[in-house]
Amino acid sequence: MTTSTQVPQQGVTGAMHRDQAMRLLPWMVGVLAVLGALALQSQLFLGQQRTVAAIFMFVSLAQAWNLIGGFTGYACFGQVVFFGIGGYFTAIAISHWHLSFWVSLLLSGVVAALFATLIGLPLLRLKGHYFAIATLGVAEGMREVVTNLPDLTGGGAGITIPTVGPDATTAYLGNEGFYVLFLALAALSVLVGGLVARSKFGYALRAIHQDEDAAAAVGINTTRMKVLAFALSGFITGLVGATYAFQQVTIFPQRLFDVNITVLMVIMVVIGGSGTVLGPLLGAVTLQFLSEFLRQNFTDLHIFILGAIIIVAVILLPQGAVNYVREARRTGEFSLLANVRKYRL
Amino acid sequence: MSAFLQATVYGLLQGGLLALVAVGFSLVWGVMNVVNLAHGAFVILGAYIGWGMHQEFGLDPFLGMFVSAAVLFALGYVTQRLLINLVVNGPIFITLLLTFGLELVMVQGMNLAFSADFRSIETSYAGESLALGSVRVPVGRLLAFALAVAITFLLVALVTRTRTGMSIMATGMDRGAARLMGIRARHVYALTFGIATALAGMAGAMIGTVGTFSPAAAGSFTLMSFVVAVLGGLGNMYGALAGGLVIGLVQAWGGQYLPGTWVNALAFLVLIIVLVVRPTGLVGKAFYAARLEV
Repeated sequence: MTTSTQVPQQGVTGAMHRDQAMRLLPWMVGVLAVLGALALQSQLFLGQQRTVAAIFMFVSLAQAWNLIGGFTGYACFGQVVFFGIGGYFTAIAISHWHLSFWVSLLLSGVVAALFATLIGLPLLRLKGHYFAIATLGVAEGMREVVTNLPDLTGGGAGITIPTVGPDATTAYLGNEGFYVLFLALAALSVLVGGLVARSKFGYALRAIHQDEDAAAAVGINTTRMKVLAFALSGFITGLVGATYAFQQVTIFPQRLFDVNITVLMVIMVVIGGSGTVLGPLLGAVTLQFLSEFLRQNFTDLHIFILGAIIIVAVILLPQGAVNYVREARRTGEFSLLANVRKYRL
Repeated sequence: MSAFLQATVYGLLQGGLLALVAVGFSLVWGVMNVVNLAHGAFVILGAYIGWGMHQEFGLDPFLGMFVSAAVLFALGYVTQRLLINLVVNGPIFITLLLTFGLELVMVQGMNLAFSADFRSIETSYAGESLALGSVRVPVGRLLAFALAVAITFLLVALVTRTRTGMSIMATGMDRGAARLMGIRARHVYALTFGIATALAGMAGAMIGTVGTFSPAAAGSFTLMSFVVAVLGGLGNMYGALAGGLVIGLVQAWGGQYLPGTWVNALAFLVLIIVLVVRPTGLVGKAFYAARLEV
C-alpha cells in the first residue's frame, strides 16, 4: 500500500517502475475483481446470486482461517465456534435487545475476537494436534452450551431473527443485498490477508510457523502475535457468521456450530495453498463451485465424490495449488509424482 | 443412593465400551502421529458387518464381531498401505484432511448401502438384566464390557510381549532407528492401522448389540475417541481404558444430575481442562510429552 506513495529519491529506472507496477498489480486485479463481481450480479438469477454469495462467504472464511492456520501454522479445528458466536450474538442482539443489524454485525465481530483472545491465551500454548483438538472441543462444547440456554438462544429449536413487522430493526436485505454484503466481506478478508502477508506482523507469524523458539529468540513476542492473529481471524469469522445468521433468518446450533464448516475452511486453504493470499481465494471458489455443481448433478453421490476429490487432492497436491506452481516454476519440477514422494513413507 | 449406584454401574459398563472404541485411535495416534478422523466410520462399519451377519446368517453378534474384526483389519491394512502411508510425513493438516475425506466417502457410502435408518442387532439376551440388590445390570452391556476390557488387555499383551508388538512400539518411538534394525515401517504402520480398525470393528458390533447406530453417528464416535485418548494419554492403552471409564462415569453422573443436555458439554469441558492442565493425560508418561513439540 505504502509503495504507491513512495517517491524514489534518485535514479528512477525502468526496472523500478516495473517493480512498482508489479507490486500494485494484485491490488488492481482485486479492485477489478470486485467491480466484475458487482457487474456479474445483474446477469444472475436470484437463486444464482445466493449460490455466488455462498462462494463469497467461503472466500472470507478461508481467508480468516488462513491467518491462524496458514500463516501461523496453528491448525484450528474449531474455527466454526467464531462463526456460531457471531451468528448467535447477532440473532440475540436483534431479537432480544432490538439493536440494528449493522450495529450487531460489528459487535459480533468484536465479541468473536474477544472470545478468541480469551481461549487463545491458554490454548495457543498447545501445539500440533493438541491445539487442533482443544479448539475442536471448544466448538463442540459451545454448541452444547448454546443448545442448553433456551431462554437466550432458543435452544435446539433455533432462534428466529425478526425481519418483518414492528420487531424488525433492519429490513431484510434480500438476495441482492446479501450478495453485495458477502462480496464486501470477501473483499475485506482478502484485503486483510494481503496486508498481513506484506506486513511485519505477517513475517512474525510466518517465523512462528517455521520455528517458534527461533522466532522468540529474535525478539518476536510470540504469544502476543499468535493471540492477535487468532483474534483477527475470529473477528472476520464472527462477521461472516453474523451475516449468515441474518441471511438464514432462523438459525440452529447444529448448523451454526457444524464441524463441517471448519473442515471446509481447512480444505479450501490447504488445497489452494496455505500461507498465501491467492490460495484460500482459489481454493474457496473452486471447491464451493465444485460442491454446488456436484450437488445439482449428482444429488446422492455428491458428498461421496467430494470426499474422493479431497483424498486425491491431498495426496497429489499436499502443499496446495499456489505453492505447487511457485515451487515448480522455481525448480522446473512439474511432476505431481515428485510431490507424492515428498511426504511418502 | 440407588439412582447413584445405578448410574455408576451404567457409566462403568459404557466406559469399557468407550475404551475399546478409543484404544485403536490412541494406538494409531501414538505410533504414527496420525489423527484418524475416519475412526468413527470404521466403528459404524463394524456395527453394520455384525448386523449383516446377524440378519443374513443368524450369527450371534458376539461371534459376528470377529468377522467385523477380520474384514476391517484387511480394510485398515490396505487403507494405510495405499493411502495414508503416502502422506504420513506431511504436516498435520494433510493427514487430518485425508482421513476426513475417507470419513466422507465411508459415511456416505454406508448411507447409500444401508440407508440412514437407525439399526440395532436384536438378540434374545441383550435386553435382559441381572438384579444386584437394587441395581440392575443389563446382560448385553455386561458381556460387552467384559469383552472390551479383555480385548484391551490382550492388545497390551500383544504390544508388549510379541515381536510384532515390539516392532510397533519401536517404530512409534523412533522410526529411523527401527528401520535401521530391519523393521519394515510401511508394513508395521499398516499393521498398526489394521489392528486399530479391527478393534473399532469389534467395538462397533458390540455397540450395535447394546444400542442403536446409523452412519451419522460416526462423527460422535470419532470425537469420543479424541476425548478418551487425550484423557488417557496418547498411545497408552491402559490410559485409554482409564480415560474410557472416567468419561463413562462423568457422562452417566452428568446425565443423572444435570438438567437438559448439559451432559454433552461435560465431556468437552473435561477434554479442554485436561489439555490445558495436564496434556500428557491421566496415565501419560514424559515420553509422550515430547510429542507436544512435534
